[in-house]
Amino acid sequence: MKLLPRRRRLLACLCCAAFIPLLAGAQEGAGIPAAYAPLVIEPSGGPERAEFDLGPALARAQRENKRLYVYLGASDCPYCRRYENFLRKNAAELVPHFRPWLVVDLRSSLSTTAQRLFIRVGGKSRPYVDFQRSIGDERSRMLVYPSVWLFDPQLKPLMQMPAGTGTFETVDEQLEILQLVQ
Amino acid sequence: MPTPIKRLSCDRRRVFMLGLGALPFAMTPRARAAVGGLPGNTGHADLSPEWELLRGRLFGKQPITAGADRVQLIAPLRAAYGASVPVKIISKLAQTPDLHVKRIHLLVDKNPSPLAATLELTPEVGQADFETRLRVDEYSHVRVVSELSNGELHMDSRYVKTSGGCSAPPNRDSPELIGRTIFKLPGPPTMGAPTTADVTVIHPNDTGFELNNVTVMYIPSYFVRTIAVSYAGRKVFDADLDFSISENPTWRFNFVPHGPGELRAEVVDSKERHFTGSLKVA
Repeated sequence: MKLLPRRRRLLACLCCAAFIPLLAGAQEGAGIPAAYAPLVIEPSGGPERAEFDLGPALARAQRENKRLYVYLGASDCPYCRRYENFLRKNAAELVPHFRPWLVVDLRSSLSTTAQRLFIRVGGKSRPYVDFQRSIGDERSRMLVYPSVWLFDPQLKPLMQMPAGTGTFETVDEQLEILQLVQ
Repeated sequence: MPTPIKRLSCDRRRVFMLGLGALPFAMTPRARAAVGGLPGNTGHADLSPEWELLRGRLFGKQPITAGADRVQLIAPLRAAYGASVPVKIISKLAQTPDLHVKRIHLLVDKNPSPLAATLELTPEVGQADFETRLRVDEYSHVRVVSELSNGELHMDSRYVKTSGGCSAPPNRDSPELIGRTIFKLPGPPTMGAPTTADVTVIHPNDTGFELNNVTVMYIPSYFVRTIAVSYAGRKVFDADLDFSISENPTWRFNFVPHGPGELRAEVVDSKERHFTGSLKVA
């Protein structure tokens, strides 16, 4: 009986050891690759009201006179991993083209639905649908992970983007997006 | 009463669908050549094997003038949703009894049913411009072919990048509203001149390719087949449609009110259900 706590500790350590590579893999796999120097924004407010504050990103974009490439990904979304892996695989070719952009990485999860996702800009926090309507984005009807927005430093949308990233997962097409080809 | 729309075109459409079923096996290497995963014919004015087949079946050997001289198609390279790609058709000639656009065909080369719409027009439209929303299932050319009253055919096309249009879930929140047909005038009518109007039919326009997540069964196709629009008893246009038109099919069109009257739409869907909608214009 006295050995039981030691056994538990041993089991706990073994379990941790087993999960470390998985967690490490998950951290490496989730989000925009570091080569793009993303500004990572985690949500505040918990799962019922996940709020992403674009204020700091906007301030930095204005300071550095850069456009905003805002990416909304989910930790448990395979399509997000696919796009991020595409960016990772082609970083050498793509990163120079991203230089005029400040890449903003909003880290969400699939449980964060349109009703639960809020975007804060300055003093105003809006639910996803209202935010989309306020900027004239046609994607207000349905929240799709991943999503990308392109803004100028004043948060004016530069181009209507598609839901998802499936139409720009080749280098040529990613360049089309960065060059605002419509 | 407007003339009933001929059903011949629906039968022809089924023939196209059957014929095109074999296309993935018959596509030329050019269309499948992948540079970075993309086919080689992605220019807006490019042809496609699907179009070549459709062209023969729809127009035989009649010459078709390509370019935006007589008709122009406006569509985004990438739309917000593949299930709802906005398209605008602009005709570059006035609609007169002597020379007018008689028929407009709207096609999506790579959709399972590529002929999205055939519009039969009269000079009563005044100006043959139309807007609607399309389902685009995968990367594809969208085309408009305008048939003039003198027999000439003119075509314009756009390459549209999208995916999953035919599997995006329609809104089924209010099934009791199916068939409700609504007219709207964005501005006041102008007597004797082309006046813009919208007609919308509340309808899921199911494609037959969507899976019901609860039953794990495919939802049968169920879509608006025809819309016949008239004003004061005179035909404006007849539309022969398909599920390549988005949920809640909407058309923006023009008509020439010669005096007070009623805009009227007669709608028939693929279950042979008939609906009507009307709007008094004064």
